[in-house]
Amino acid sequence: MTNLLKTMEINVGPQHPSTHGVLRLVLELDGEIIKSCKPVVGYLHRGIEKMAESRSYLQYLPIVDRIDYLGGFFNSYAYCDCIENLLNVEIPVKAQYIRVLCMELNRIASHLLWLGTFMLDLGASSPLFYCFRDRERILHIFEALTGQRMMYNYFTFGGVRFDIPNEILEDISSFVEDMPECIKDYENIITTNPIFTSRCVNKGIITKRNALQYSITGANLRASGVGLDFRKSCPYLTYDNLEFDISYADGGDAYSRYKVRIFELYSSLKIVEQCIDFIRSSSEPILNKSVKPVMLNIPEGEYTSIVEASRGLTSCTVKAGGKTPYRVKWRTGSYYAVQLLPELLVNCEVADMMAIFGSLDVILPEVDK
Amino acid sequence: MINIDLLKEYFPDITVNDDYIFVEHDAFDVISFLKSKNYVDFDVLTQIIATDYVDFVQLSYRLYSTVSNDFLNVITNVQNETSSIVKLYKSAHFDECEIYDLFGINFIGNDNIHRLYMPESWVGHPLLKSYVQNDERLVWND
Repeated sequence: MTNLLKTMEINVGPQHPSTHGVLRLVLELDGEIIKSCKPVVGYLHRGIEKMAESRSYLQYLPIVDRIDYLGGFFNSYAYCDCIENLLNVEIPVKAQYIRVLCMELNRIASHLLWLGTFMLDLGASSPLFYCFRDRERILHIFEALTGQRMMYNYFTFGGVRFDIPNEILEDISSFVEDMPECIKDYENIITTNPIFTSRCVNKGIITKRNALQYSITGANLRASGVGLDFRKSCPYLTYDNLEFDISYADGGDAYSRYKVRIFELYSSLKIVEQCIDFIRSSSEPILNKSVKPVMLNIPEGEYTSIVEASRGLTSCTVKAGGKTPYRVKWRTGSYYAVQLLPELLVNCEVADMMAIFGSLDVILPEVDK
Repeated sequence: MINIDLLKEYFPDITVNDDYIFVEHDAFDVISFLKSKNYVDFDVLTQIIATDYVDFVQLSYRLYSTVSNDFLNVITNVQNETSSIVKLYKSAHFDECEIYDLFGINFIGNDNIHRLYMPESWVGHPLLKSYVQNDERLVWND
């Protein structure tokens, strides 16, 4: 029998419910074993980088939230940071704390969505409801604060748009108080669950060498034994004044990635707690009024921001050239994680595919840009 | 930090600046040298940034060392083609496909190069400055 008859080619996606967007994987199967995998991306390509070249700096600001719609604050910050550095403006300390608070809450929301959908991919439907219940509380806070549940457009050049009222701070602190119990609940259901462990332990192992070769960052890299977190190694905003721990695991498998993300939920809560204390006690302004966003005309220059987003290193490069950016380039975490998939999936069983893919926390708008 | 004298000794033609290293036409040899263990081990390629300057396309390779926590920017100006660095960093494959797709730069040595975002039948390379120019009415801060 020829090779052609022995293997079968099938498409997973682009409309597959567990590809978290529109990813197409072309798989070559020999029975239940994956022999090769080719990721096909671009179904969600919106030309976000090209759009920048025909818009003013301010017109581009609402668009950047859409790059990773589950982590809008990270993208907003990455872009605002570029413009602020190109203009050489300082942002008030209170605004920095508010930004950190928003980003960490966003990280929690994003990880909760990941946890829920990852469990759903593995066939467990109840964690999804628990996770979405708690994520909903964060989205309510964001809605009260910014007017939007997902695309916030809240950060602006020189600070943030609105101050946080005390009622919202109360909401946040009661959320921070309740959350550790909820995370313990998830851990009780999931961490030692025999079905979960047998599907995740030693599945989809990313070696340290592979992780660095493929430029994997964020929780996926930390699960492979590299303790690299850009909040610690290149501190931005007020992260060097805040106390928090980063975790890493040595396994490199899907289970280690789960453990690292669960730990990140706790450390983000710790950061949020410290931010609330500062914001309450501060009566500083929240916006540097010297920036005139509508009339921005930035002379030639280039800046690259570095942000540890929920899915790894997000960095925005703005090459300024007068009234519009000359070139904007986005670097996102998921883009590189998708590239690693063929390496992880070859010689795996089809049934493990979604456990491995889900554990990478890939989101497609970030890949397709 | 990087040893500039040693680098200059091996590659006399390069320009070393505070925040970047400029190489004419092809950066493969310099990047391969920077990656080697006996130099600073730049073990991660965070991204490749391409910019169209009409006469040439500028490629900027952003390297990062997890050992010394240094970022390095290697810049080169190319016309139509340059050497692929997939042999050095596997993460470069998608970046090179993206640049091939959006800027039309061919990477020699990357056998698997294809359009990443656009369909294979697409005509033109969208991120070139000559591609679309009719959107200027959107800038309203004149």
